Amino acid sequence: MRFILLAIFLVFAPATSSALNTGRIFVSNEKSHDIYVYDADFNLIKQIETSQRPRDMKLNAARTLLYVACGDDDIIDVIDVETLEIVDGIPTGPSPEVFEFSPDESQIYVSNEEDSMLEIIDLLARITVHDVPTGAEPEGVIAPAGSNKLYVTSEVADMVHVVDRDKGVVTNNIIVGTRPRRFVITPDTNELWVSAELSSEIYVIDRTSEEITEILEFLPPGFRPEDVTPVGMALTRDGGIGLISLGRANHVAIIDARSKELLSYVLVGRRAWSVALSRDEKIAVVANGLSDDITLIDMQTYRPIRSIPAGRVPHTVVIDD
Amino acid sequence: MKLFLTSVLAIALALANTAKADTLRIGLLRLEQDPRYDEDMAYARIQLRPLGDVSTAVQMAISDMKILTDARGLTTVLSQALADETDLTTVASELASAGVTHLIVDLPAAQVDAVATVLADTQVTVLNTTAPDDWLRSKCHANLLHTAASDRMIADTLVQHAVSQKWKNILVLRGKTERDGTRADAFMEAAARFRLRIVADREFDLSTNPSMREQNNIALITGGSRDYDAIFMADEIGEFARYVPYQTALPRPVIGATGLVAAEWHWAFERYGAPQVNSRFEDQSKDARRMAWQDWSAWIATRAVLTAFAKARGDELADANALLRAAKLRLDGSKGAQMSFRPWSSQLRMPILLSTHNAIIAVAPLEGFLHQTSTLDALGYDEREFACD
Repeated sequence: MRFILLAIFLVFAPATSSALNTGRIFVSNEKSHDIYVYDADFNLIKQIETSQRPRDMKLNAARTLLYVACGDDDIIDVIDVETLEIVDGIPTGPSPEVFEFSPDESQIYVSNEEDSMLEIIDLLARITVHDVPTGAEPEGVIAPAGSNKLYVTSEVADMVHVVDRDKGVVTNNIIVGTRPRRFVITPDTNELWVSAELSSEIYVIDRTSEEITEILEFLPPGFRPEDVTPVGMALTRDGGIGLISLGRANHVAIIDARSKELLSYVLVGRRAWSVALSRDEKIAVVANGLSDDITLIDMQTYRPIRSIPAGRVPHTVVIDD
Repeated sequence: MKLFLTSVLAIALALANTAKADTLRIGLLRLEQDPRYDEDMAYARIQLRPLGDVSTAVQMAISDMKILTDARGLTTVLSQALADETDLTTVASELASAGVTHLIVDLPAAQVDAVATVLADTQVTVLNTTAPDDWLRSKCHANLLHTAASDRMIADTLVQHAVSQKWKNILVLRGKTERDGTRADAFMEAAARFRLRIVADREFDLSTNPSMREQNNIALITGGSRDYDAIFMADEIGEFARYVPYQTALPRPVIGATGLVAAEWHWAFERYGAPQVNSRFEDQSKDARRMAWQDWSAWIATRAVLTAFAKARGDELADANALLRAAKLRLDGSKGAQMSFRPWSSQLRMPILLSTHNAIIAVAPLEGFLHQTSTLDALGYDEREFACD
């Protein structure tokens, strides 16, 4: 009996291990099919070879495992944050791009770029629970806690689909600007922000009424409106400050997330995409898709600290600290 | 009196309902024997042009946009017609009478001109997808929009690349057809703007006639001039051009009709969602063929119309047509730039791809080529250079 208990304990041990707070920074590189891992001082410590075309990445809540959507191999690789080895893989539909966990981590929501589906996968059983048809080229996915709703963008149909995640059906479509890409939700959960890459706008949607309440536009000095192609966004935990990457305008906009007033434009690399904040919110890290590097931003002075080489076409930044 | 008032109200409501365009009728008109798609053009079964037709691209745009048009309560109905040259305008008029409001045409320039003329007094907007001729833009038909890049846009793209590579001296070789002449003239005009020197402008000949060897022998036609940095070829069919690289008198790159070419689209483009557009097209086309520029051009024309209907403020045809022609159309063609139609020439402003047979070398407008209002307007006739006939 004691033996059996011990065995059970051993089996479950990895799942109950707690966050390591390694301070490591992970950058997925779409075209070199690897993840660059930097230590807390931004020294490159490892290049993890992944399945083909790694894009979006998320840590589990315990911050022990890093999930990586690999678009050309139709799989989500699972990487052990401590050993930096691939330990598992979750098969998906064609071309997974962006994904999100359900708040209890029992399900994973994946946008399949090639077959225009939002796939709801049961993580334990490894089966697809629902395939929700979306507009062509679905991308951003977000699933806020305390709600059975999830949101997904369609880049081609220029809309945000509101999905009932229990039933796996679209309950509403919100038409936004051209080529909607990513989401953030304000910490008070009232506002859903969507970046519309080709109409150079951020749409602010009221989550209760599902109506557009504000459209934010940016123009760093010396750029044309059409150069502004916003994609990645991040918010501080208190919901006070928002960061928005402006793509080919090569800047990140830092705004007061409540009043939506601009605080600063920070010059970064070429085609700034994904933005992530360190846990202490002292540093922001931006992936630059066309200059194959990442830029560190000092969040006290709103100045770039330095840029560090990444692999080919860096896509997403995740910080484990 | 009260009764009268209610009936007026009822009629007004009924009118409002019928005026609301809940069925969106799009037409596609092509030539039955379009010489531009003749498969036997090159005797040796070597494919010089896309096989298959643009209807796949039009249908793909309708299915891409369905979820958006559905959300707006619109049903898209596509009427397709093939006609020979003699009854082309009759067929176009029939489509107009059948209620088509937007007619996508895959026709040479003279036929586009004829169709736009015959439909001038109807509610139909014609979208030219495959005729690049600048003279057609200068006709300034009020009911005509162009999604095919103009000859001048293609020429400006090649010239921008030549300038950025410091290819200052160019040898021009042109075929004898009218289209080849138009292409070559457009290139020379674009080259003059950036002070490229044309070292010689020569006409090639497809025969093997020894008395014409100065025109049909590649070593001779590319020799006997002062030094040049590149050879520009105007050869729309491409049958001569394909033999020119590696046989030139001087070892210089060949651009324009082979080697490095400029076009609206290429299957090898891998940025801005282009791979997804390409793979959707390959899935939906009959023989899994690759998307050619003609297909992209028809796809974006359809997408432009459907975007205008789906995003217009009002439900009237006039509302959609106003947005279709407005700068805030902000059309996405998976080339990384928001696009709209130029108000002066009704030409879609767009990035142009510079490609080899299997790679994208650059996307114009190239870095450093600027414009006072929109960098996309560095390609093609700008407002101040453009004049209607």
